Amino acid sequence: MNRSSHLLVLGIALALGVMLSGCTTVGVKVWERDILATPYMQPDRHSIERELDDHIYFSKEGSSGGRGFGGGGCGCN
Amino acid sequence: MQLNNQKSIKSALAIATTVLLGTSVARATDVESTLLVYSEKDRVSAAEGAVAVSHNLDENNQVRIKLTFDALTGASPNGATTSKNIQTYTRPSGVGTYTSQPGQTPLDNTFHDSRVSVNGLYTKRLGRLTSISIGGNFSSEFDYTSLGINSGISRDFNNRNTTITLSGSLSVDKIRPVGGVPIPFASLPLPSTSLPRVGPDDTKKTYDLLLGITQTIDRKTLFRANYSYSHAKGYLNDPYKIVSVVQDESSPNPGEPVDFIYEKRPDTRSKQAIYARLKRYFNGNNCDISYRFFWDDWSLTSHTIDLFYLWDLKKGRSLEPHFRWYHQSASDYYVPMLVENRPLPQFATADYRLSTFSAVTVGLQYAFQVIPAHTMKLTFEYYRQFGDSSPPEIFGSLLNYDTFPALKAIMIRLGYDFSF
Repeated sequence: MNRSSHLLVLGIALALGVMLSGCTTVGVKVWERDILATPYMQPDRHSIERELDDHIYFSKEGSSGGRGFGGGGCGCN
Repeated sequence: MQLNNQKSIKSALAIATTVLLGTSVARATDVESTLLVYSEKDRVSAAEGAVAVSHNLDENNQVRIKLTFDALTGASPNGATTSKNIQTYTRPSGVGTYTSQPGQTPLDNTFHDSRVSVNGLYTKRLGRLTSISIGGNFSSEFDYTSLGINSGISRDFNNRNTTITLSGSLSVDKIRPVGGVPIPFASLPLPSTSLPRVGPDDTKKTYDLLLGITQTIDRKTLFRANYSYSHAKGYLNDPYKIVSVVQDESSPNPGEPVDFIYEKRPDTRSKQAIYARLKRYFNGNNCDISYRFFWDDWSLTSHTIDLFYLWDLKKGRSLEPHFRWYHQSASDYYVPMLVENRPLPQFATADYRLSTFSAVTVGLQYAFQVIPAHTMKLTFEYYRQFGDSSPPEIFGSLLNYDTFPALKAIMIRLGYDFSF
């Protein structure tokens, strides 16, 4: 990993830390969750499609992972 | 009467609580299904079907089972360089040959495969804020078997505005290449002669770890970030890929092949990725953008941006354009070819998937509600890779050919989701 990668990781870790420590200013009250509860806002929406996409890109590109775990397989061709 | 009143108050309170907690009144079972046709221009075609069933056993326990089947056929680059002559290669089985025409990218057209995969996941809620999961997966191809287990824990904090997830997985794969496992850097044999083989099969173990945080930013915005680490150990070569050894610059035919040898990669690989995603609601529409930075100890780095924008057309209909951009820099072990009379490097692969290239996907999905809780989705996507058609390492006759002929593929998906 080169220096710029280290810096990027550090930057993201710091951003996450700030976000966690500042959680009193972000976030919503229980009664403000109407939009977050809609189907479009669910993080795992289209999960099966994303999993199929991930398998295609795993077979065609040199990178994989990041979003979750893969489902296995060779991906040789 | 008294009892009925109490019941109705109780059920009204239950509904109100569910709405306030932000979970819609859950149906017991959700089914997602999709059929995919993937077709590359002049290369691989694939058909894939997948069904995932999620069932809430009760309010604290959920199971999800996913079945995937795919069938592939077509031609795939074998790693050899293009030549001005007809090139002949022994098939992986050692029986018979296939050829590439002058000026054409060498493709191995002998390949077809089918894969069956089963994934299972059990999630249990422990109290109001914590959930744990355990899962397994099995996939089988005629030359490849993978068996994996995974487990995770997640906990909500800050009035459930923050969720932290930690999960891990372990998979053990067995590779049984057609004709056996080639000896790395051995020459491709002539047909029906003794094959240079290490043995009939080999194995690979992969450990994965993922740490994620989901944060509610405001009433309309959700943020997710993951750090993932993956370590693979064992057989990491592609048994069907070869590397051309070409004549050097001072020879009569510089750039023309004198030999084909099997590739050789290290037997460990550590991959890491940072993934960040933002979902934002805009006046009934929805934007979903994610970025992944990936790096590994083979010196491959990549950047991926994925963007979805959902237009809610009302009455259960929606239109969702998709754009994905990807760029990777080559692994240290990638070589377009090797040159005769020069010492062999420690590792070498001519697999274009480890070279420098970019890729773009553009797509559009139309979804509509068939009946309440039943949605049909039709998706069309176009994928294209762009690589370096004339990398600095090539010389001689290789300068006449495109070293990275663009891969172009279309993907058509038909999805049907329902709940009951």
